[in-house]
Amino acid sequence: MFCYQCEQTYRSDEGAGCAGSKGMCGKDAATADLQDVLLHVCEGIGQYLHRARALGATDVEADRFVLYAFFTTLTNVNFNAAKFVRLIQTAGEIKERAQALYEAAAASAGKAPEALAGAAAFVPAAELNGLLAQAAEASVKKDAAALGEDVVGLRSLVLYGLKGVCAYAHHAEVLGEERDAIYEAVEHALDLLASGPEEIGPLLEEALALGRANFLAMEALDAANTGNFGTPEPTQVRVTPKKGKAVLVSGHDMKDLCAILEATKDKGIDIYTHGELLPAHSYPKLKAYPHLAGNYGGAWQDQQREFAEFPGPIVMTSNCLIEPQPRYRGRIFTAGPVGWPGIRHIDNGDFSIVAQAAAALPGFAEDAAEETITIGFGRDTVLGVADKVIEAVKAGAIRHFFLVGGCDGAAPGRNYYTDFAEHAPQDTVVLTLGCGKYRFNRHDFGTIGGLPRLLDMGQCNDAYSALVVATKLAEAFGAGVNQLPLSLIVSWFEQKAAAVLLTLLALGVRNVRLGPTLPAFLTPALVDVLVQKFGVLPITDAKADIEASLARAA
Amino acid sequence: MFKVNLVTRDGASLVFDADPSDTLLDAAAKANIFLPAACREGGCGTCRVTRKAGVVALGSYSRSALTDADRAAGDILLCRAAAHSDLELTAPFDKAVIGFSRIPERRARITDVGPAGAGAVRLVLRYEDDPTHGRAAEFIPGQFMELTLPGTSITRAYSLANTPNWEGTLELSIRLHPQGAFSAYLAGRAEIGDVLHVKGPQGSFIVDDGSQAPRWFVAGGTGVAPILSMLRQMAELGDARESHLFFGVNTQDELFATDVVEELSKSLPGFGATLCVWRPGPDWSGFAGTPAEALAAALADSSTRPDIYVCGPPKLIEATEAVALAGGVPHDRIFSERFSPA
Repeated sequence: MFCYQCEQTYRSDEGAGCAGSKGMCGKDAATADLQDVLLHVCEGIGQYLHRARALGATDVEADRFVLYAFFTTLTNVNFNAAKFVRLIQTAGEIKERAQALYEAAAASAGKAPEALAGAAAFVPAAELNGLLAQAAEASVKKDAAALGEDVVGLRSLVLYGLKGVCAYAHHAEVLGEERDAIYEAVEHALDLLASGPEEIGPLLEEALALGRANFLAMEALDAANTGNFGTPEPTQVRVTPKKGKAVLVSGHDMKDLCAILEATKDKGIDIYTHGELLPAHSYPKLKAYPHLAGNYGGAWQDQQREFAEFPGPIVMTSNCLIEPQPRYRGRIFTAGPVGWPGIRHIDNGDFSIVAQAAAALPGFAEDAAEETITIGFGRDTVLGVADKVIEAVKAGAIRHFFLVGGCDGAAPGRNYYTDFAEHAPQDTVVLTLGCGKYRFNRHDFGTIGGLPRLLDMGQCNDAYSALVVATKLAEAFGAGVNQLPLSLIVSWFEQKAAAVLLTLLALGVRNVRLGPTLPAFLTPALVDVLVQKFGVLPITDAKADIEASLARAA
Repeated sequence: MFKVNLVTRDGASLVFDADPSDTLLDAAAKANIFLPAACREGGCGTCRVTRKAGVVALGSYSRSALTDADRAAGDILLCRAAAHSDLELTAPFDKAVIGFSRIPERRARITDVGPAGAGAVRLVLRYEDDPTHGRAAEFIPGQFMELTLPGTSITRAYSLANTPNWEGTLELSIRLHPQGAFSAYLAGRAEIGDVLHVKGPQGSFIVDDGSQAPRWFVAGGTGVAPILSMLRQMAELGDARESHLFFGVNTQDELFATDVVEELSKSLPGFGATLCVWRPGPDWSGFAGTPAEALAAALADSSTRPDIYVCGPPKLIEATEAVALAGGVPHDRIFSERFSPA
């Protein structure tokens, strides 16, 4: 295996990347290799779909499959090698279908179809050992010796950014929101990757195109979430348990959460959110369920301890899953793209078994002392008080906005984000999103002129909401986003965050401080491009970075 | 006090201190690490691990639990070994079967009891609801429960044949032994509604989820119980890999659970079964011989090198290991659980 897609990848003096029998995430070498092969076959699908689309022919089922397949390969999503053997066979069949679609479209247009090489011509082996033998030709590193690390790193940036786009687009698709422009962009990126690009320029351009596609994907997901569940509103969420039977739902998928709420209603079972599902409490149609009781625990990296102590079933609807421990292995379920060998998977939306499990497990024996936090500051809520905000900025009551958001993780350097948020001066507002917020969202930030100083905007994909707010405020001030007293302090861990970063770059948003460490696939030369061309700044020390941000605004 | 580092089959490293006056099993328990064990008297081999470095003192044990060849290869029994230096150990089981809190002790009521072929009993229990554990039956297929004979302190370990469930059901297949105290109870006095004290789940005989190889299972008599649990779980998870059961009994009238095997044939893709009768009657048309012999024939006919899971009496384990090794299956791909008359 070789994998360096996430922030926790193995780093040593010899270089970065997980290349042993198991990755730092717990993914074994066979699974990692099979994921590479799956992505390679998907590139072949993309080659055909891209050309078919140019001739007016599309296959939306194939596009949906690519989104799902890519999502399964994100960090902390699917660890089940057997699942990948099956997915690769399906991908091979879809590739043949895409080829037929393209050739028929070419014939209709009176054109001779191109005979495609590379991934399009790749035939996956029928069984495991054959597939593992093919993995080398699908590895991100395959051309490193010939082309150098810069090209390989930039290809990786495109591939991993594409994974993030696919994951967000899949979340939106399952809730009924699709965009042709996203599928077109995905196919384009797959086709480019399949062509074995060797030039920095087109790869960088593709990365930015994916950043734009990711903006569309986040917009589609925003439309999907608000369309299905209403507009987020400020909401007090209980963060301590109540006595009674309980289910814990983690991941990002609000559709699954809604199905679980339905499956457990009127049964005396409380539903708790975990990690990135905290924002669900702010959606009117979800919070209307009286048994949506609260949020339990913190960010994903603490799950082995927290899940062990949770006295009911646990459902993991999307990333981030880490190895289920003995104490809860029998009562954790996976859904959607997630999987772990030997763990029960629910793929038909029927969560009745979760209700049965909750009834059979002990639940919380006692009420804990009630504690709450306030969430639900999506774009509509914030823009609803835009006049007050603008007035406060003009009057000097609000000096600066810090968006401290993104992923959390286990790396020790991540206390930077706690320090940053908690040391931001009292005349500044901290916006947050993603699971990085758990490092400071129980801290009392106080208020400015009646507005909370900490505004939780939602999940990582609600970066869309933040961008809409920033754009509207910039309009109100008659300035550009980069002229606003706004700094973005972004923590990344996996590929959704990589896609969000590409969106920020594509939209020309500068003043992004990125950490806790920079992606291992970005070589010094590539980092230099990000710094010089896009104004990306690696994080340093929290207090120094706060001062530097404020000095820029002054 | 010495340092013990035990590395599991799936690569987890567990470190604990061990005093030379404690067995390694007890030393681990003092550190809240509850390692797989059953008889705790050197008789069953459940707690067998391999010593890679360091010195141990080994108390008395049964040669069926630890053969001379195993011992020469570095194997020890945690329940009989004490550390006399720092130790490096490797375990043939996953971290998932290690407990980090006390093994649950609960009450369960008999809901069904009846014959399972000649000389064996099928016992079905249901947990009573309790505030600490609820009523769920949580275990890993292949594990066993320790049952206490009502009104006594006599305990026996029996493997579970069903899969984890939320109704709290525990299904056990138990061979009756003419002089056995528990056997006498089951054959004569046990009634629906009786409450038994049960301790578990325990045991390390579980499938290696990290392996993609086909799984072939070899069972002798009621040794099929944990294997049925594993196969039923594979069916529930939709595991489509090749799997095969070689299930042997002495005489035809001892066969049981054939309905479960038939159901698995329908619900588990890639599954096949060979029923083996050692001393068949004239009307037996299936395999005549032991399941180890059936395994030898199948390995000779196939290029497959599966993972082998075997459960049954010590002689069946030994025969199966010999056949599998001769058939090209590596030693570390053979997983066994011995059971002996208590």
